[in-house]
Amino acid sequence: MDSGSTRLRRLSGMTVVVPSAYDTPEQQKARSMQTALSIAMDALAYGMALFIICIGLSLTMGLMRVVNLAHGAFAMIGGYIASYAARDLGLGYGFGIVLAMIGTVLIAVPLERLLYRRIYDRSELSQVLMTIGITFCVIGITNYFFGPTLKTIPLPAELARSVDLGFRSIAGHRLFVIASGLVVAGGLWFLIERTGFGINLRAAVENAPMARTLGIRTEIIYAASFALAIGLAAFGGVVGAEFLPIEPYYALRYMVTFLVVVSVGGAGSIPGALAACLLLGAIDVTGRYLVPDFGNFFFYLAVILVVCAFPRGLMGRAQ
Amino acid sequence: MPATPAAGRTLGRDLLGLALIALVGLAGYWLFPDNLAFLTRVISVALLVLSLDLIVGYCGVASLGQGALYGAGAYAAGIACVHGVTDPVLLILIGAAAGAIMGLLMGAVMLRAHGLPQLVLSIAIVQLLHEGANKASSITGGSDGLSGMSPAPLFGLFAFDLWGRSAYLFGLGLLLIVFAVLRFVTRSPFGMVCRGLKEDPLRISALGIYAFPVLLKMFVISGSVAGMGGALAAIATQVVGLDSVSFEISANALVMLVLGGIGHLYGALIGTVIFMALEHIVAAINPFHWMTLVGAVLIAIVLFAPRGLSGTLDELARLLTRDRWGAGR
Amino acid sequence: MTKGFLNRLLPAGALALAGALALGASAMADTIKIGIIGPFSGPFALQGKNFQAGAEAWLAQNGKTVAGHDIELVYRDLPTANPQQARALAQELIVRDKVQYLGGVYFTPDAMAITPLLKQGNVPLVIFNAATSAIMNSSPLVVRTSFTLSQTTTPLGKAAVERGVKKFVSIVSDYGPGVDAEGAFKKAIEAAGGEVKEAIRIPLNTTEFSPIMQRIRDAGAEGVFAFLPSGPPTLGFVKAFSDTGLKKAGVKLFAPGDLTQESDLPALGEAAAGLITSFHYAVSHDSEINKRFIAAAEKAIGAPDLVSFPAVGAYDGLFVISKMIAATAGKQDAEKAVEAVKGLGWESPRGPVKIDPETRHITQTIYLREVAKDAQGRWINKEIASVPEQKDSGLTK
Repeated sequence: MDSGSTRLRRLSGMTVVVPSAYDTPEQQKARSMQTALSIAMDALAYGMALFIICIGLSLTMGLMRVVNLAHGAFAMIGGYIASYAARDLGLGYGFGIVLAMIGTVLIAVPLERLLYRRIYDRSELSQVLMTIGITFCVIGITNYFFGPTLKTIPLPAELARSVDLGFRSIAGHRLFVIASGLVVAGGLWFLIERTGFGINLRAAVENAPMARTLGIRTEIIYAASFALAIGLAAFGGVVGAEFLPIEPYYALRYMVTFLVVVSVGGAGSIPGALAACLLLGAIDVTGRYLVPDFGNFFFYLAVILVVCAFPRGLMGRAQ
Repeated sequence: MPATPAAGRTLGRDLLGLALIALVGLAGYWLFPDNLAFLTRVISVALLVLSLDLIVGYCGVASLGQGALYGAGAYAAGIACVHGVTDPVLLILIGAAAGAIMGLLMGAVMLRAHGLPQLVLSIAIVQLLHEGANKASSITGGSDGLSGMSPAPLFGLFAFDLWGRSAYLFGLGLLLIVFAVLRFVTRSPFGMVCRGLKEDPLRISALGIYAFPVLLKMFVISGSVAGMGGALAAIATQVVGLDSVSFEISANALVMLVLGGIGHLYGALIGTVIFMALEHIVAAINPFHWMTLVGAVLIAIVLFAPRGLSGTLDELARLLTRDRWGAGR
Repeated sequence: MTKGFLNRLLPAGALALAGALALGASAMADTIKIGIIGPFSGPFALQGKNFQAGAEAWLAQNGKTVAGHDIELVYRDLPTANPQQARALAQELIVRDKVQYLGGVYFTPDAMAITPLLKQGNVPLVIFNAATSAIMNSSPLVVRTSFTLSQTTTPLGKAAVERGVKKFVSIVSDYGPGVDAEGAFKKAIEAAGGEVKEAIRIPLNTTEFSPIMQRIRDAGAEGVFAFLPSGPPTLGFVKAFSDTGLKKAGVKLFAPGDLTQESDLPALGEAAAGLITSFHYAVSHDSEINKRFIAAAEKAIGAPDLVSFPAVGAYDGLFVISKMIAATAGKQDAEKAVEAVKGLGWESPRGPVKIDPETRHITQTIYLREVAKDAQGRWINKEIASVPEQKDSGLTK
């Protein structure tokens, strides 16, 4: 157990726990800076991984108004496909990602036509019920075909290597996740705010009948954005697998985390989701470093505080 | 339920309903004397789902954290029992009180938000409590569960034993009382205001009614009902585990409620019985792959019985009897 | 519902039941049912499958008759720790399915919910896994063929100090078994002359461990003791340990064998190489009995990589139950059955074992193992030392 004093010291300045008596104050300061930077890098990588997985859910919930609790199930399917392609077929990581996104979307599109289309304008509770049902099915089927064990997605040598950042070494994969997160955020923003598709989508969301009279084919818009969200989920499932390992129960295990992150950000808002992921990722990681014994407390406490302060989420739209 | 001109008729229907529940309960007792522990579990969960219906169905507040209230009751009763309070009726009251207090706290936090953020608040609260119960292992037994309680025989006569007869009949009695009271509550002017707040908050506030205290009151009532369910589980099982204050049990409760149909107390009962029986039977037939089947059933329900099972039953009944005053909403 | 009604009702029901029980016992003398409760679905499905594989391996080798009585296994699914459901399942198995023996049980609270039923039901419970010491005190009709954490962890203390690793940080998941492991390790390492500089408990669902690794680095520890549930947390931990360069920096990781469960090893792979664990059973244990056991268990579970320690608990559990059946000549007599196996010793796939007559817990050899590749290039827990006849030190408080 920690003694109270070390904890206090650590809280006050992130001082290292076993400083030798000979450290000068400058050395100590440099070291705690280093620690803080290092934690910040971890928090950033974790937050970005969350962002890539969750942003698709934010889109379905915010723009299409579907509480898709099966979002994690699709991320998991992506992870399984990538694992199968990269590990069992030996096709490599990049190919694994592409196959995972294509494969997951191919699985999701018929589901959209058969199931999701019927719940677009139903109550949230019906959506919850159906998507939980879908999650159960996906878990059961995955368990049946792939067994209950963990699946890994082997990283290529470039990503598995550690990269020296000066103050610490970090797994190259984490840098890749951070970069991917930025690309996804930028790309989505561009797509929704700057392209014709984005305009049509926003029109369909604001007022579907009006959009239809203007000749926008809303079903196609919906199907396309659903596919986009699912593709992102699959991508997130694969690149986030180092943080959230792939196994059949993935879909339920992280369902709450995903839902919480999206709501804190404000469903449908890309900057909101990004902010929420980075904030909650940082709180989670820092809390885990400072007071690991109470790691989850801080996470959920932060959620309660944020939601109370911003009842629509950090950057939610007025409804 | 619209304010019907035939008040006597609703009273009659309530009595009929109560008699029906009692009859089904006793039928369960006679038909499945070997499954009473399971049936007791169904009753305890039914209380949880009923309490959830009060919030979701009557106030329009979605919650995925009802386990917080249920768990508060279970742990309060369990801890009291370990410390020498063994009278089952008293334990139920303790559970109700603990649930009510937790309901007050939870309502005070949750009513600050609406819609999805509200749902997330409820999740955060139940997760926090779950962590807390795990941390306070000297009081709650942590993840090993709180064990070592031995409730005294009911009325000094009926022990809570292997066959679980006293636990079941005790639970059934409790359910009937709670159900009768809740029928009364939901029909009262207070219950009507809650419904009004759900349907059209603007109009209600235009009537000069301030929503917060009304909804908070319903939270307290809901908490006491859930707390009784938890206490019943603690008495019947004699172990309280962390699962009683978990997201999983909360989510299951919501699924059962939506399955049965929200906003009718009967829906909560039907949903609980159907879901748990389904899970129990399917899991016994195939312990390895039951999840897929349960998932498929949930999907089917949404597609083919959009208003929940009770809603569908109502519609059927209305079609059959062409009763203008039928039990629609 | 009047009291009179209840009064009349209860004795009538009890009589009917007693009659049914008596009838059942005599009519079904030739088929003895054994109820097995385990996590056959859900996040712990793998462990449940191992229960099943172990039990079926035993049946495949020894036939489905014991002392002239057919035996039948009845499986019941209990996906996660849920005492209420555990009690309901056990009650149903005892009262409706009329099982003579209960087996399985993965989680401690479930076992605690079942034990109060045993005496009335006249049914012994043979625990295949649930590993908290205190369960054994809750009923005299419980026998356990698995392990406890203090049993498997204690030898680690001496082993670590012998390797020159003395300053430790302990990292455990914050739940019953984790706390048990932390306590046992602290005691063991202090007895051996080392110390735990910092003991950290982390939430059970943690999968991202880099901040924890930072703590270890800060603490300047020579060694890390870790206990986490198998699955995602273990994978995350071992990967982070290797990714953040702690492993390369020479920090040694010691753990109870749950951490390197064989079914997780293919996923852990290179990251786990060299990790030292102590446990009661390794799938790669070199003995004729074990080879035959593994062949049968793999056949039962359907894939070679999935067999791990719960299977051996179930296999030995069925052995114990078969001895109970033989000793009672197929009659339902829980006390006599338990009495008969007290002090019973046999050669298990894990090595020589014995049921301790006092605690009814299994006394066994604890092995020190290192994660390495075998001749075929598969990752295994290679046994490097053994400490024979370990009892459960957690019970002697």
